[in-house]
Amino acid sequence: MHSILIGLPINGKALVSYIAHSITYSLLKYCSNNKRVYYFIILCIVCCIGNNALAGEKINRDTTPLSTNKQALAFLDKQADLQASNFWPKVNPVLFLLNLKKNIEHPLSIYEGRSTNFCAYAALSYLPLHDDPVNYVKFMVQLYTDGKAVYGKEYFEPSKEVKWVAGSLTFKGELDIRPADQVWFLALADHFKGYLNLFDKHFNTGDENKMWAAVNFSKFNRMVRKLFNYQVNAVGSDLLHPGVRDMFEYLSERLKTGNVALFVNNLSLYKKNHTKLKLAVPTHFIILLNIEKVDDQIAVTYWDYGGRSLQLLNPSFLKKIIFGISHITKKITDAK
Amino acid sequence: MQNRRSYFLLLLFIISLLCSCASRKVISSNYFYENEKTLTVIEQSYKALYRQNPFSLAFTDRSFNYISLEIITDSIKLIYEFEINEPRLQDTLVKYHLPAMAVTGLITQMRSIHCIWINNLDFYTNNQKKYLVLMSIRPVAIHLPFTNEKYFILTFYSQPQYFDSEGRLLAHRRARKLRKINGDVFKRINDKVCYTISGRFR
Repeated sequence: MHSILIGLPINGKALVSYIAHSITYSLLKYCSNNKRVYYFIILCIVCCIGNNALAGEKINRDTTPLSTNKQALAFLDKQADLQASNFWPKVNPVLFLLNLKKNIEHPLSIYEGRSTNFCAYAALSYLPLHDDPVNYVKFMVQLYTDGKAVYGKEYFEPSKEVKWVAGSLTFKGELDIRPADQVWFLALADHFKGYLNLFDKHFNTGDENKMWAAVNFSKFNRMVRKLFNYQVNAVGSDLLHPGVRDMFEYLSERLKTGNVALFVNNLSLYKKNHTKLKLAVPTHFIILLNIEKVDDQIAVTYWDYGGRSLQLLNPSFLKKIIFGISHITKKITDAK
Repeated sequence: MQNRRSYFLLLLFIISLLCSCASRKVISSNYFYENEKTLTVIEQSYKALYRQNPFSLAFTDRSFNYISLEIITDSIKLIYEFEINEPRLQDTLVKYHLPAMAVTGLITQMRSIHCIWINNLDFYTNNQKKYLVLMSIRPVAIHLPFTNEKYFILTFYSQPQYFDSEGRLLAHRRARKLRKINGDVFKRINDKVCYTISGRFR
Protein backbone atom coordinates (compact mmCIF):
# COMPACT_ATOMS: atom_id res chain seq x y z
CA MET A 1 0.00 0.00 0.00
CA HIS A 2 2.81 2.33 0.90
CA SER A 3 4.48 1.69 -2.39
CA ILE A 4 1.23 2.49 -4.24
CA LEU A 5 0.78 5.69 -2.29
CA ILE A 6 4.37 6.71 -2.70
CA GLY A 7 3.79 6.70 -6.45
CA LEU A 8 1.10 9.37 -6.12
CA PRO A 9 1.87 13.07 -6.21
CA ILE A 10 2.18 14.27 -2.58
CA ASN A 11 0.71 17.76 -2.52
CA GLY A 12 -2.31 19.42 -0.90
CA LYS A 13 -5.30 17.15 -0.68
CA ALA A 14 -3.32 14.14 -1.85
CA LEU A 15 -1.13 14.49 1.25
CA VAL A 16 -4.22 14.32 3.50
CA SER A 17 -5.33 11.19 1.71
CA TYR A 18 -1.88 9.65 2.05
CA ILE A 19 -1.84 10.24 5.83
CA ALA A 20 -5.35 8.75 6.23
CA HIS A 21 -4.32 5.66 4.30
CA SER A 22 -1.15 5.26 6.38
CA ILE A 23 -3.00 5.43 9.74
CA THR A 24 -5.57 2.87 8.61
CA TYR A 25 -2.85 0.52 7.39
CA SER A 26 -1.06 0.70 10.76
CA LEU A 27 -4.28 0.00 12.70
CA LEU A 28 -5.05 -3.04 10.56
CA LYS A 29 -1.62 -4.42 11.17
CA TYR A 30 -2.04 -4.55 14.99
CA CYS A 31 -5.73 -5.52 15.43
CA SER A 32 -7.67 -8.81 15.88
CA ASN A 33 -9.88 -10.38 13.16
CA ASN A 34 -13.18 -8.79 14.31
CA LYS A 35 -11.61 -5.50 14.66
CA ARG A 36 -10.10 -5.97 11.24
CA VAL A 37 -13.60 -6.09 9.70
CA TYR A 38 -14.47 -2.79 11.37
CA TYR A 39 -11.25 -1.31 10.32
CA PHE A 40 -11.76 -2.63 6.78
CA ILE A 41 -15.01 -0.63 6.63
CA ILE A 42 -13.21 2.39 8.00
CA LEU A 43 -10.54 1.82 5.40
CA CYS A 44 -13.15 1.89 2.65
CA ILE A 45 -14.57 5.16 3.98
CA VAL A 46 -11.13 6.67 4.31
CA CYS A 47 -10.27 5.52 0.79
CA CYS A 48 -13.40 7.21 -0.47
CA ILE A 49 -12.38 10.43 1.26
CA GLY A 50 -8.90 10.06 -0.15
CA ASN A 51 -10.24 9.42 -3.63
CA ASN A 52 -12.50 12.43 -3.39
CA ALA A 53 -9.52 14.49 -2.40
CA LEU A 54 -7.63 13.13 -5.38
CA ALA A 55 -10.65 13.74 -7.62
CA GLY A 56 -10.59 17.35 -6.47
CA GLU A 57 -6.97 17.41 -7.49
CA LYS A 58 -7.98 15.92 -10.86
CA ILE A 59 -10.43 18.80 -11.46
CA ASN A 60 -7.62 21.22 -10.74
CA ARG A 61 -5.60 19.44 -13.39
CA ASP A 62 -8.44 19.98 -15.90
CA THR A 63 -6.51 22.34 -18.13
CA THR A 64 -6.73 22.79 -21.89
CA PRO A 65 -3.49 21.33 -23.32
CA LEU A 66 -1.34 23.87 -25.14
CA SER A 67 1.72 23.57 -27.36
CA THR A 68 3.51 25.47 -30.09
CA ASN A 69 3.96 25.15 -33.85
CA LYS A 70 7.67 24.75 -33.30
CA GLN A 71 7.17 21.68 -31.10
CA ALA A 72 4.78 20.18 -33.63
CA LEU A 73 7.21 20.72 -36.50
CA ALA A 74 10.02 19.18 -34.43
CA PHE A 75 7.82 16.11 -33.88
CA LEU A 76 7.05 15.88 -37.60
CA ASP A 77 10.73 16.16 -38.48
CA LYS A 78 11.33 12.99 -36.46
CA GLN A 79 8.75 11.11 -38.57
CA ALA A 80 10.79 11.35 -41.78
CA ASP A 81 10.97 7.54 -42.10
CA LEU A 82 7.21 7.05 -41.76
CA GLN A 83 6.27 3.87 -43.61
CA ALA A 84 3.19 3.33 -45.76
CA SER A 85 0.33 2.19 -43.56
CA ASN A 86 -1.60 -1.00 -44.22
CA PHE A 87 -4.59 0.59 -42.53
CA TRP A 88 -4.78 3.51 -44.98
CA PRO A 89 -3.86 1.95 -48.35
CA LYS A 90 -4.54 5.07 -50.43
CA VAL A 91 -2.63 7.51 -48.24
CA ASN A 92 0.96 8.13 -49.28
CA PRO A 93 3.16 8.69 -46.16
CA VAL A 94 5.21 11.46 -47.79
CA LEU A 95 2.12 13.40 -48.89
CA PHE A 96 0.55 12.70 -45.50
CA LEU A 97 3.46 14.33 -43.64
CA LEU A 98 3.63 17.21 -46.12
CA ASN A 99 -0.05 17.87 -45.54
CA LEU A 100 0.40 17.86 -41.75
CA LYS A 101 3.38 20.19 -42.05
CA LYS A 102 1.38 22.58 -44.22
CA ASN A 103 -1.46 22.58 -41.65
CA ILE A 104 0.99 23.51 -38.90
CA GLU A 105 2.78 26.20 -40.91
CA HIS A 106 -0.42 27.64 -42.41
CA PRO A 107 -3.22 26.67 -40.03
CA LEU A 108 -5.78 28.80 -41.87
CA SER A 109 -5.27 26.82 -45.06
CA ILE A 110 -7.12 23.69 -43.91
CA TYR A 111 -9.91 23.24 -46.45
CA GLU A 112 -13.08 21.21 -46.13
CA GLY A 113 -13.39 20.58 -49.86
CA ARG A 114 -15.99 21.57 -52.40
CA SER A 115 -19.58 20.34 -51.87
CA THR A 116 -18.72 18.18 -48.83
CA ASN A 117 -20.36 18.34 -45.40
CA PHE A 118 -16.98 18.72 -43.68
CA CYS A 119 -17.26 22.43 -42.76
CA ALA A 120 -17.79 21.76 -39.03
CA TYR A 121 -14.76 19.46 -38.84
CA ALA A 122 -12.63 22.04 -40.66
CA ALA A 123 -13.90 24.82 -38.37
CA LEU A 124 -13.05 22.94 -35.17
CA SER A 125 -9.59 22.16 -36.58
CA TYR A 126 -8.85 25.87 -36.16
CA LEU A 127 -8.55 25.25 -32.40
CA PRO A 128 -5.84 22.53 -32.18
CA LEU A 129 -3.92 24.00 -35.10
CA HIS A 130 -3.60 27.29 -33.21
CA ASP A 131 -3.48 26.18 -29.58
CA ASP A 132 -2.22 22.60 -29.43
CA PRO A 133 -0.69 21.42 -32.70
CA VAL A 134 1.49 18.79 -30.96
CA ASN A 135 -1.46 16.68 -29.79
CA TYR A 136 -3.02 17.03 -33.23
CA VAL A 137 0.04 15.76 -35.13
CA LYS A 138 0.74 13.00 -32.58
CA PHE A 139 -2.82 11.77 -32.94
CA MET A 140 -2.66 11.89 -36.74
CA VAL A 141 0.62 9.99 -36.93
CA GLN A 142 -0.60 7.33 -34.49
CA LEU A 143 -3.90 6.98 -36.34
CA TYR A 144 -1.96 6.53 -39.57
CA THR A 145 0.53 3.98 -38.24
CA ASP A 146 -1.76 1.96 -35.91
CA GLY A 147 -5.17 2.53 -37.49
CA LYS A 148 -6.45 3.63 -34.08
CA ALA A 149 -5.62 6.40 -31.61
CA VAL A 150 -6.92 8.39 -28.66
CA TYR A 151 -7.62 12.12 -28.88
CA GLY A 152 -8.69 13.85 -25.68
CA LYS A 153 -11.42 11.69 -24.19
CA GLU A 154 -12.17 9.85 -27.42
CA TYR A 155 -10.91 6.55 -28.79
CA PHE A 156 -10.87 6.44 -32.59
CA GLU A 157 -10.87 3.31 -34.69
CA PRO A 158 -12.37 4.31 -38.05
CA SER A 159 -14.36 1.81 -40.08
CA LYS A 160 -12.76 -0.22 -42.90
CA GLU A 161 -14.74 1.70 -45.52
CA VAL A 162 -13.40 5.02 -44.26
CA LYS A 163 -9.82 3.71 -44.21
CA TRP A 164 -10.25 2.39 -47.72
CA VAL A 165 -11.56 5.64 -49.22
CA ALA A 166 -9.31 8.16 -47.39
CA GLY A 167 -6.73 9.57 -49.77
CA SER A 168 -8.88 8.96 -52.83
CA LEU A 169 -11.58 11.63 -52.51
CA THR A 170 -11.67 13.60 -55.77
CA PHE A 171 -13.36 16.63 -57.33
CA LYS A 172 -13.25 18.48 -54.00
CA GLY A 173 -10.76 21.16 -54.99
CA GLU A 174 -7.61 21.33 -52.90
CA LEU A 175 -8.85 18.57 -50.60
CA ASP A 176 -8.01 16.17 -53.48
CA ILE A 177 -4.31 16.64 -52.75
CA ARG A 178 -4.53 16.77 -48.93
CA PRO A 179 -4.64 13.12 -47.78
CA ALA A 180 -4.12 13.87 -44.07
CA ASP A 181 -7.11 16.21 -44.08
CA GLN A 182 -9.18 13.50 -45.73
CA VAL A 183 -8.14 11.08 -42.95
CA TRP A 184 -8.94 13.67 -40.24
CA PHE A 185 -12.36 14.70 -41.58
CA LEU A 186 -13.46 11.16 -42.37
CA ALA A 187 -12.31 9.87 -38.96
CA LEU A 188 -14.22 12.63 -37.16
CA ALA A 189 -17.38 12.12 -39.21
CA ASP A 190 -17.15 8.35 -38.70
CA HIS A 191 -16.68 8.65 -34.93
CA PHE A 192 -19.06 11.41 -33.80
CA LYS A 193 -22.76 10.96 -34.41
CA GLY A 194 -25.69 13.30 -33.83
CA TYR A 195 -29.38 13.11 -34.62
CA LEU A 196 -28.76 14.28 -38.20
CA ASN A 197 -26.75 11.09 -38.79
CA LEU A 198 -29.45 8.83 -37.40
CA PHE A 199 -30.48 7.42 -40.78
CA ASP A 200 -27.02 7.33 -42.33
CA LYS A 201 -24.53 6.06 -39.79
CA HIS A 202 -22.53 3.77 -42.06
CA PHE A 203 -20.13 5.21 -44.63
CA ASN A 204 -20.75 4.50 -48.31
CA THR A 205 -19.01 6.05 -51.31
CA GLY A 206 -20.07 9.68 -51.71
CA ASP A 207 -21.33 9.99 -48.13
CA GLU A 208 -18.91 12.83 -47.46
CA ASN A 209 -21.43 15.03 -49.31
CA LYS A 210 -24.45 13.63 -47.52
CA MET A 211 -26.11 13.40 -44.11
CA TRP A 212 -23.50 10.88 -42.92
CA ALA A 213 -21.10 13.81 -42.43
CA ALA A 214 -23.65 16.40 -41.27
CA VAL A 215 -23.12 18.20 -37.97
CA ASN A 216 -25.76 19.78 -35.77
CA PHE A 217 -24.97 22.52 -33.27
CA SER A 218 -24.76 20.38 -30.12
CA LYS A 219 -22.60 17.79 -31.89
CA PHE A 220 -20.16 20.53 -32.83
CA ASN A 221 -19.90 21.73 -29.23
CA ARG A 222 -19.56 18.15 -27.94
CA MET A 223 -16.68 17.50 -30.33
CA VAL A 224 -14.83 20.61 -29.17
CA ARG A 225 -15.28 19.73 -25.50
CA LYS A 226 -14.32 16.07 -25.78
CA LEU A 227 -11.41 16.38 -28.17
CA PHE A 228 -9.64 19.51 -27.01
CA ASN A 229 -10.96 20.03 -23.45
CA TYR A 230 -12.13 23.61 -23.93
CA GLN A 231 -14.85 25.35 -21.95
CA VAL A 232 -17.70 25.83 -24.44
CA ASN A 233 -20.59 28.15 -23.67
CA ALA A 234 -23.14 27.93 -26.45
CA VAL A 235 -26.30 29.88 -27.24
CA GLY A 236 -28.70 29.14 -30.07
CA SER A 237 -29.93 25.98 -31.71
CA ASP A 238 -30.43 24.15 -35.01
CA LEU A 239 -33.72 25.88 -35.74
CA LEU A 240 -34.14 28.97 -33.57
CA HIS A 241 -31.98 32.08 -33.37
CA PRO A 242 -30.18 32.81 -30.10
CA GLY A 243 -31.96 35.34 -27.90
CA VAL A 244 -29.28 37.99 -28.25
CA ARG A 245 -30.44 41.60 -28.47
CA ASP A 246 -27.28 43.36 -29.57
CA MET A 247 -25.39 40.86 -31.71
CA PHE A 248 -22.43 43.18 -32.28
CA GLU A 249 -21.89 43.82 -28.56
CA TYR A 250 -22.36 40.16 -27.70
CA LEU A 251 -19.87 38.89 -30.26
CA SER A 252 -17.31 41.64 -29.56
CA GLU A 253 -17.33 40.80 -25.85
CA ARG A 254 -16.94 37.06 -26.47
CA LEU A 255 -14.08 37.59 -28.91
CA LYS A 256 -12.07 39.40 -26.23
CA THR A 257 -11.92 36.30 -24.05
CA GLY A 258 -11.80 33.36 -26.44
CA ASN A 259 -12.62 31.84 -29.81
CA VAL A 260 -16.07 32.21 -31.31
CA ALA A 261 -17.61 29.71 -33.72
CA LEU A 262 -20.82 30.65 -35.52
CA PHE A 263 -23.47 28.34 -36.94
CA VAL A 264 -24.91 30.29 -39.85
CA ASN A 265 -27.32 30.06 -42.72
CA ASN A 266 -24.94 29.63 -45.61
CA LEU A 267 -27.65 30.13 -48.22
CA SER A 268 -28.12 33.69 -47.02
CA LEU A 269 -24.42 34.33 -46.53
CA TYR A 270 -23.39 33.26 -50.04
CA LYS A 271 -26.42 32.55 -52.17
CA LYS A 272 -28.60 35.52 -52.59
CA ASN A 273 -32.06 36.66 -53.53
CA HIS A 274 -32.59 34.56 -56.62
CA THR A 275 -35.42 32.52 -55.20
CA LYS A 276 -38.44 33.60 -53.24
CA LEU A 277 -38.47 30.53 -51.04
CA LYS A 278 -35.36 29.92 -48.98
CA LEU A 279 -34.94 27.51 -46.11
CA ALA A 280 -34.08 29.52 -43.02
CA VAL A 281 -31.92 26.90 -41.37
CA PRO A 282 -28.23 26.94 -40.47
CA THR A 283 -25.95 24.83 -42.64
CA HIS A 284 -22.44 26.14 -42.18
CA PHE A 285 -19.85 26.63 -39.41
CA ILE A 286 -17.42 29.54 -39.47
CA ILE A 287 -14.83 30.87 -37.03
CA LEU A 288 -15.31 34.54 -36.18
CA LEU A 289 -11.96 36.36 -36.23
CA ASN A 290 -12.91 40.00 -35.91
CA ILE A 291 -15.95 42.22 -35.78
CA GLU A 292 -16.15 46.01 -35.99
CA LYS A 293 -18.58 48.76 -36.84
CA VAL A 294 -18.09 50.63 -40.12
CA ASP A 295 -20.62 53.47 -40.33
CA ASP A 296 -24.02 51.79 -40.04
CA GLN A 297 -22.70 48.39 -41.08
CA ILE A 298 -20.74 45.64 -39.38
CA ALA A 299 -17.47 44.38 -40.85
CA VAL A 300 -17.15 40.68 -40.06
CA THR A 301 -13.87 38.84 -40.59
CA TYR A 302 -14.24 35.09 -40.44
CA TRP A 303 -12.50 31.87 -41.38
CA ASP A 304 -14.04 29.31 -43.71
CA TYR A 305 -13.11 27.41 -46.91
CA GLY A 306 -9.38 27.54 -46.20
CA GLY A 307 -8.99 31.26 -45.71
CA ARG A 308 -10.10 34.53 -44.16
CA SER A 309 -13.00 36.54 -45.54
CA LEU A 310 -14.09 40.08 -44.73
CA GLN A 311 -17.69 40.98 -45.39
CA LEU A 312 -19.78 44.07 -44.66
CA LEU A 313 -23.21 43.15 -43.32
CA ASN A 314 -26.03 45.20 -41.92
CA PRO A 315 -26.88 44.44 -38.26
CA SER A 316 -30.31 42.94 -38.95
CA PHE A 317 -28.91 40.64 -41.65
CA LEU A 318 -26.14 39.49 -39.30
CA LYS A 319 -28.73 38.64 -36.66
CA LYS A 320 -30.83 36.84 -39.27
CA ILE A 321 -28.11 34.47 -40.44
CA ILE A 322 -26.74 33.46 -37.01
CA PHE A 323 -28.38 30.45 -35.37
CA GLY A 324 -25.68 29.33 -32.97
CA ILE A 325 -22.80 31.00 -31.13
CA SER A 326 -20.15 28.93 -29.37
CA HIS A 327 -17.84 30.81 -27.04
CA ILE A 328 -14.78 28.61 -26.69
CA THR A 329 -12.31 29.40 -23.91
CA LYS A 330 -9.24 27.67 -22.56
CA LYS A 331 -9.51 25.98 -19.17
CA ILE A 332 -6.65 27.44 -17.17
CA THR A 333 -7.47 26.18 -13.64
CA ASP A 334 -4.10 24.56 -13.08
CA ALA A 335 -2.08 26.34 -15.73
CA LYS A 336 1.35 27.59 -14.75
CA MET B 1 -73.66 30.80 -54.97
CA GLN B 2 -73.03 27.05 -54.66
CA ASN B 3 -72.33 26.82 -58.40
CA ARG B 4 -69.88 29.69 -58.29
CA ARG B 5 -67.99 28.04 -55.49
CA SER B 6 -67.78 24.78 -57.45
CA TYR B 7 -66.44 26.62 -60.52
CA PHE B 8 -63.87 28.35 -58.36
CA LEU B 9 -62.70 25.07 -56.81
CA LEU B 10 -62.55 23.44 -60.25
CA LEU B 11 -60.48 26.33 -61.60
CA LEU B 12 -58.12 26.11 -58.63
CA PHE B 13 -57.73 22.38 -59.18
CA ILE B 14 -56.90 22.84 -62.88
CA ILE B 15 -54.31 25.56 -62.12
CA SER B 16 -52.60 23.38 -59.50
CA LEU B 17 -52.62 20.45 -61.92
CA LEU B 18 -51.03 22.57 -64.66
CA CYS B 19 -48.40 23.91 -62.25
CA SER B 20 -47.46 20.46 -61.06
CA CYS B 21 -47.23 19.00 -64.56
CA ALA B 22 -45.46 21.87 -66.31
CA SER B 23 -41.76 21.51 -66.88
CA ARG B 24 -39.32 24.38 -66.76
CA LYS B 25 -37.96 25.65 -70.02
CA VAL B 26 -34.68 23.83 -70.07
CA ILE B 27 -31.95 25.57 -71.94
CA SER B 28 -29.19 23.39 -73.30
CA SER B 29 -26.22 23.52 -75.64
CA ASN B 30 -28.33 25.61 -78.06
CA TYR B 31 -28.05 28.45 -75.60
CA PHE B 32 -24.29 28.39 -75.96
CA TYR B 33 -24.41 28.58 -79.76
CA GLU B 34 -27.05 31.34 -79.68
CA ASN B 35 -24.86 33.43 -77.34
CA GLU B 36 -21.43 32.08 -78.26
CA LYS B 37 -19.93 35.42 -79.23
CA THR B 38 -20.94 37.18 -76.00
CA LEU B 39 -20.00 34.20 -73.83
CA THR B 40 -16.55 33.98 -75.41
CA VAL B 41 -15.96 37.71 -74.97
CA ILE B 42 -16.99 37.46 -71.29
CA GLU B 43 -14.73 34.46 -70.69
CA GLN B 44 -11.72 36.05 -72.40
CA SER B 45 -12.07 39.43 -70.71
CA TYR B 46 -12.63 37.81 -67.29
CA LYS B 47 -9.49 35.70 -67.70
CA ALA B 48 -7.46 38.74 -68.65
CA LEU B 49 -8.77 40.79 -65.72
CA TYR B 50 -8.31 37.89 -63.30
CA ARG B 51 -4.63 37.76 -64.20
CA GLN B 52 -4.29 41.37 -63.03
CA ASN B 53 -6.05 40.74 -59.72
CA PRO B 54 -8.09 37.66 -58.77
CA PHE B 55 -11.80 38.38 -58.29
CA SER B 56 -15.26 36.97 -58.93
CA LEU B 57 -18.61 38.61 -59.72
CA ALA B 58 -22.14 37.55 -58.82
CA PHE B 59 -25.53 39.18 -59.25
CA THR B 60 -27.33 38.94 -55.94
CA ASP B 61 -30.89 39.84 -56.91
CA ARG B 62 -33.42 38.65 -59.45
CA SER B 63 -33.56 41.97 -61.28
CA PHE B 64 -29.77 42.04 -61.90
CA ASN B 65 -29.27 45.39 -60.14
CA TYR B 66 -26.96 44.35 -57.30
CA ILE B 67 -23.55 42.81 -57.69
CA SER B 68 -21.33 41.00 -55.22
CA LEU B 69 -17.65 41.58 -55.85
CA GLU B 70 -15.16 39.21 -54.23
CA ILE B 71 -11.55 40.37 -54.35
CA ILE B 72 -9.06 37.65 -53.50
CA THR B 73 -5.74 38.74 -52.02
CA ASP B 74 -2.96 36.55 -50.64
CA SER B 75 -4.22 36.85 -47.08
CA ILE B 76 -7.96 37.58 -47.28
CA LYS B 77 -11.04 37.48 -49.48
CA LEU B 78 -12.94 40.79 -49.46
CA ILE B 79 -16.66 40.49 -50.16
CA TYR B 80 -18.54 43.63 -51.18
CA GLU B 81 -22.05 44.21 -52.45
CA PHE B 82 -22.96 47.22 -54.61
CA GLU B 83 -25.75 48.54 -56.75
CA ILE B 84 -24.32 48.36 -60.28
CA ASN B 85 -24.41 52.14 -60.81
CA GLU B 86 -23.08 53.00 -57.36
CA PRO B 87 -19.92 55.18 -57.35
CA ARG B 88 -18.49 53.05 -54.50
CA LEU B 89 -18.10 50.18 -56.97
CA GLN B 90 -15.75 52.24 -59.14
CA ASP B 91 -13.82 53.45 -56.08
CA THR B 92 -13.35 49.91 -54.82
CA LEU B 93 -12.16 48.65 -58.21
CA VAL B 94 -9.62 51.47 -58.40
CA LYS B 95 -8.49 50.78 -54.83
CA TYR B 96 -7.68 47.18 -55.70
CA HIS B 97 -5.99 48.03 -59.00
CA LEU B 98 -8.70 46.62 -61.20
CA PRO B 99 -9.51 48.55 -64.43
CA ALA B 100 -12.91 50.03 -63.56
CA MET B 101 -14.02 50.52 -67.18
CA ALA B 102 -13.25 46.92 -68.16
CA VAL B 103 -14.94 45.44 -65.08
CA THR B 104 -18.10 47.53 -65.50
CA GLY B 105 -18.11 46.48 -69.17
CA LEU B 106 -17.93 42.87 -68.03
CA ILE B 107 -20.82 43.43 -65.60
CA THR B 108 -22.94 44.92 -68.41
CA GLN B 109 -22.22 41.96 -70.67
CA MET B 110 -23.02 39.49 -67.88
CA ARG B 111 -26.29 41.29 -67.26
CA SER B 112 -27.20 41.17 -70.97
CA ILE B 113 -27.15 37.35 -71.02
CA HIS B 114 -28.32 36.85 -67.40
CA CYS B 115 -25.03 35.44 -66.24
CA ILE B 116 -25.30 35.56 -62.47
CA TRP B 117 -21.86 34.30 -61.47
CA ILE B 118 -18.42 34.12 -62.96
CA ASN B 119 -15.49 32.58 -61.16
CA ASN B 120 -12.12 30.95 -61.68
CA LEU B 121 -12.26 27.47 -60.16
CA ASP B 122 -9.34 25.20 -59.35
CA PHE B 123 -9.40 21.49 -60.12
CA TYR B 124 -6.82 18.71 -59.93
CA THR B 125 -5.63 16.18 -62.50
CA ASN B 126 -2.80 13.82 -61.46
CA ASN B 127 -2.12 16.07 -58.47
CA GLN B 128 -1.63 19.04 -60.80
CA LYS B 129 -3.62 22.19 -60.12
CA LYS B 130 -5.53 23.57 -63.08
CA TYR B 131 -8.15 26.25 -63.54
CA LEU B 132 -11.43 26.57 -65.36
CA VAL B 133 -13.80 29.50 -65.79
CA LEU B 134 -17.27 28.76 -64.48
CA MET B 135 -20.33 30.78 -65.53
CA SER B 136 -23.82 30.37 -64.11
CA ILE B 137 -26.74 31.54 -66.22
CA ARG B 138 -30.14 32.14 -64.69
CA PRO B 139 -32.85 31.36 -67.23
CA VAL B 140 -35.55 34.02 -67.26
CA ALA B 141 -38.30 31.82 -68.62
CA ILE B 142 -41.53 31.88 -66.63
CA HIS B 143 -40.75 30.84 -63.10
CA LEU B 144 -43.41 28.70 -61.56
CA PRO B 145 -44.03 29.03 -57.87
CA PHE B 146 -42.88 26.20 -55.59
CA THR B 147 -40.39 24.88 -58.14
CA ASN B 148 -36.65 24.88 -57.58
CA GLU B 149 -34.58 27.38 -59.48
CA LYS B 150 -32.41 25.72 -62.16
CA TYR B 151 -29.22 27.23 -63.50
CA PHE B 152 -27.39 26.65 -66.76
CA ILE B 153 -23.73 26.16 -65.85
CA LEU B 154 -20.92 26.51 -68.38
CA THR B 155 -17.30 25.53 -67.79
CA PHE B 156 -14.47 26.76 -69.99
CA TYR B 157 -11.15 24.86 -69.96
CA SER B 158 -7.76 25.93 -71.27
CA GLN B 159 -7.01 22.44 -72.63
CA PRO B 160 -9.21 20.01 -74.62
CA GLN B 161 -11.01 17.58 -72.31
CA TYR B 162 -11.94 13.90 -72.59
CA PHE B 163 -15.51 12.62 -72.95
CA ASP B 164 -17.25 9.26 -73.03
CA SER B 165 -19.46 8.02 -75.88
CA GLU B 166 -22.45 9.84 -74.35
CA GLY B 167 -20.52 13.13 -74.34
CA ARG B 168 -20.02 13.20 -70.57
CA LEU B 169 -16.90 14.84 -69.16
CA LEU B 170 -14.26 12.34 -67.96
CA ALA B 171 -11.68 12.74 -65.22
CA HIS B 172 -8.76 11.46 -67.34
CA ARG B 173 -8.10 10.10 -70.79
CA ARG B 174 -7.55 6.55 -69.49
CA ALA B 175 -9.92 6.45 -66.55
CA ARG B 176 -13.58 6.06 -67.43
CA LYS B 177 -14.51 7.93 -64.27
CA LEU B 178 -16.81 10.92 -64.77
CA ARG B 179 -15.47 14.26 -63.59
CA LYS B 180 -17.90 16.06 -61.32
CA ILE B 181 -17.83 19.76 -60.52
CA ASN B 182 -19.78 20.77 -57.41
CA GLY B 183 -21.33 17.31 -57.56
CA ASP B 184 -22.68 17.70 -61.11
CA VAL B 185 -21.85 15.69 -64.22
CA PHE B 186 -21.04 17.89 -67.24
CA LYS B 187 -21.73 17.34 -70.94
CA ARG B 188 -19.74 18.31 -73.99
CA ILE B 189 -20.43 21.43 -76.03
CA ASN B 190 -17.03 21.41 -77.70
CA ASP B 191 -13.57 20.14 -76.67
CA LYS B 192 -13.04 22.97 -74.20
CA VAL B 193 -16.57 23.91 -73.13
CA CYS B 194 -19.04 21.84 -71.10
CA TYR B 195 -22.47 22.46 -69.60
CA THR B 196 -24.87 21.16 -67.01
CA ILE B 197 -28.24 22.11 -65.56
CA SER B 198 -27.99 22.44 -61.79
CA GLY B 199 -30.00 23.51 -58.79
CA ARG B 200 -26.94 25.32 -57.44
CA PHE B 201 -25.31 28.25 -59.13
CA ARG B 202 -22.03 28.17 -57.14
